[in-house]
Amino acid sequence: MGRVSRRQFLRSSAGIAAGAAAWNTFGQAPAFAQKRELTFLSWNHFVPASDDELRKQAEAFGKQANCTVRVDTIAHLQLPAKFAAEAASQSGHDMILAGTNTAFLYEHQLVDVADVVDDLGKRYGGWYPFSKEAAYMSSGWKAVPWFWISFPATYNMAHYKKAGFEVPKTWEELLKQGKVLKKQGNPVGIPISHCNDANTTYWSVLWCQGGKVLEADGKTPALNSDKTAQVIEWYKELYRDAMDPEVLSWDDASNNRFILSGKGSWIHNPISPYNQALAKSMPIADDINHHRSPGGPAGIHSAPPINGIGIWKFSKNADLAKEFIKFHFQKENFDAWIVASNAFNHPPLRHFADHPIWAKNPKFAMLPGEAEYGHPRGWPAKTNAAVNLIEVNYVLPDMVAKAINGMPTKRAMAWGEDQVKLAVQGKLETKGKS
Amino acid sequence: MAIGQRALEATEFARPGRLERVREWWEQEHVFGYGLILPALLLIVCLVAYPFGMAIYFSLSDYWVGSPGGFVGLDNFRQIFRNEVFHRTVYNSFVFTSIAVVFKTLLGVWLAMLLFRTFKFKRLVRGAVLLPWVIPTALSTLAWWWMFDSLYSVVNWTGIRLGLITAPGPNWLGMTTYAMVAVIAVNVWRGLPFFAIIVLAGLVSIPREYYEAAEVDGASSWGRFRHVTLPLLKPVLAVVILFSTIFTFADFNIVQVLTRGGPINTTHLFATLAYQTGLMGGNLGQGAAISLFLFPMLAAVVFFQLRYIRRE
Repeated sequence: MGRVSRRQFLRSSAGIAAGAAAWNTFGQAPAFAQKRELTFLSWNHFVPASDDELRKQAEAFGKQANCTVRVDTIAHLQLPAKFAAEAASQSGHDMILAGTNTAFLYEHQLVDVADVVDDLGKRYGGWYPFSKEAAYMSSGWKAVPWFWISFPATYNMAHYKKAGFEVPKTWEELLKQGKVLKKQGNPVGIPISHCNDANTTYWSVLWCQGGKVLEADGKTPALNSDKTAQVIEWYKELYRDAMDPEVLSWDDASNNRFILSGKGSWIHNPISPYNQALAKSMPIADDINHHRSPGGPAGIHSAPPINGIGIWKFSKNADLAKEFIKFHFQKENFDAWIVASNAFNHPPLRHFADHPIWAKNPKFAMLPGEAEYGHPRGWPAKTNAAVNLIEVNYVLPDMVAKAINGMPTKRAMAWGEDQVKLAVQGKLETKGKS
Repeated sequence: MAIGQRALEATEFARPGRLERVREWWEQEHVFGYGLILPALLLIVCLVAYPFGMAIYFSLSDYWVGSPGGFVGLDNFRQIFRNEVFHRTVYNSFVFTSIAVVFKTLLGVWLAMLLFRTFKFKRLVRGAVLLPWVIPTALSTLAWWWMFDSLYSVVNWTGIRLGLITAPGPNWLGMTTYAMVAVIAVNVWRGLPFFAIIVLAGLVSIPREYYEAAEVDGASSWGRFRHVTLPLLKPVLAVVILFSTIFTFADFNIVQVLTRGGPINTTHLFATLAYQTGLMGGNLGQGAAISLFLFPMLAAVVFFQLRYIRRE
């Protein structure tokens, strides 16, 4: 009858076990299939379609180079901790999304990618000036500049028309207009609080005035100056006569809400409010427009976020990673990626900036040109660990806020200078020197 | 049968004599007792003692993210003592903790007394009261953050409609005093259920006879509270205040979500400043030094509280 002998049972169960084991190994390919795996750690993009396009290209590259490419994305605020862990354990991904401070903080942990940078620069019309400032240090190019996010002025055309103003070309002009606009019920808005936008705008205003926070050597404090005093005075006046007190509590999304609510007349921000208005078909989208980030006595300068791709030194796939970067930078691929991001990803290479996605929309047309004025934070110093500390501790907006809250400008500046001194102490003096 | 015997002999383990001896050894009280503690001890060593030791080491080194540093002695502590932001943080922590704990204690006892009464839907209400404690802080604080928003503040809107606040109302998260009020309010809101439920447990355990006796003696309701409830609640209160002080001192989520330490660092607590300096800024050495600063203070609080409880 159907009795199974012990031997039969053993044989068949062994077969099943072996089959299952084989299934498992093939299912998890890497070890067995002799296919290399290339990994990339990036952030959850603000425009998710951009990540989808990147993954599509990763798959295409995998087929071409007979490997698998995995793109992992996590929340951008978690990246610093993840990088720290990977550097400490000397294991993890091959490539990382490297913001400017990442490239400098991990200078000695990242591969020199000068060959890729040279090659791409020659092929696509050269890099914008900020690229070198953002990724090149004495030990070489520590990231391939990847994309930057324009930080123009966003304004409400209806409010401007009502007041009879042209768009401001300088920060000084903005102050004059702001006084009238506030009386009209439409104040301007620049955050003076613990948020990134507050830092970004401060750098811009300071540079346009001709000031700096650190000397070019990256370790000598240069904050205590007439220029800084002028900037603080400018902020005080702007706060008093052209803004509402709410700017003291703003986060990175507050100015978006401020302009979208219809109340605000002018903000300094990426183009996200306009895109949001379009996406949600808000009527205010028609009134919103962009113009070039304002300038000052020392010219036009801005501090847009600049991102690169870095390759860990511990990676065993550094060459393959370089191939992947070149693949992604092929014109058709990079263009597709720009389109997927809905014009959010700005190219650091001149030829890519000619993309029709900007040219054909009058509200976007000026955006790629902003690249000429961009610098990484800390400029003329490198974005070293001290600059990073000054940024994450919000020293600059706090200095302004202290003055606004009644502290004499000189004392507020002395406080800021003291914080900068604390930031450059100790080991920093040897870090990030160019 | 024969195979089984041989296998057992091969392992040399299960010979009746030896098994017996092992069992005897194991069942001795001091071995068995420690054996039971061992897993917990291992967990503590791996998850508490080791990180704590590492933190002490970091605080004495110039360890930066991406570049392990060398021993620098007390340099990190010297630097944070020099820093005005740190002074402010120490001050904030004491203001935040003391006010929040006082409010949680008063309101907690009050709420517990209310919940102790019999009323309709008692169980449902008792359960619902726990909600603020159960919802993940990051989520519930987001709701609060929205209520305090500068542009769309629900708090201000309600206040103005009720005639309590003159328009446009305070900028909750942008003005130094108001921001502190806001973070304390949210902390009290969140910590209150913990207080109330534990005090409620204490109330339930007080024998009814005491109240009856007091009533017979003509004690008023305040007298009953003052001379019966309060003395018998003391041990429970002491423990719950101890826990709450520790939680409040070490709070992170509420401040991080509401103000990120702003405006001008007037709501920074040790945990948020340490996170900012150590993880965001990459200065792990100083970050560790800042967070270790919590330790002696909490140790002192625990010491005095425990001594008090033991004496009771």
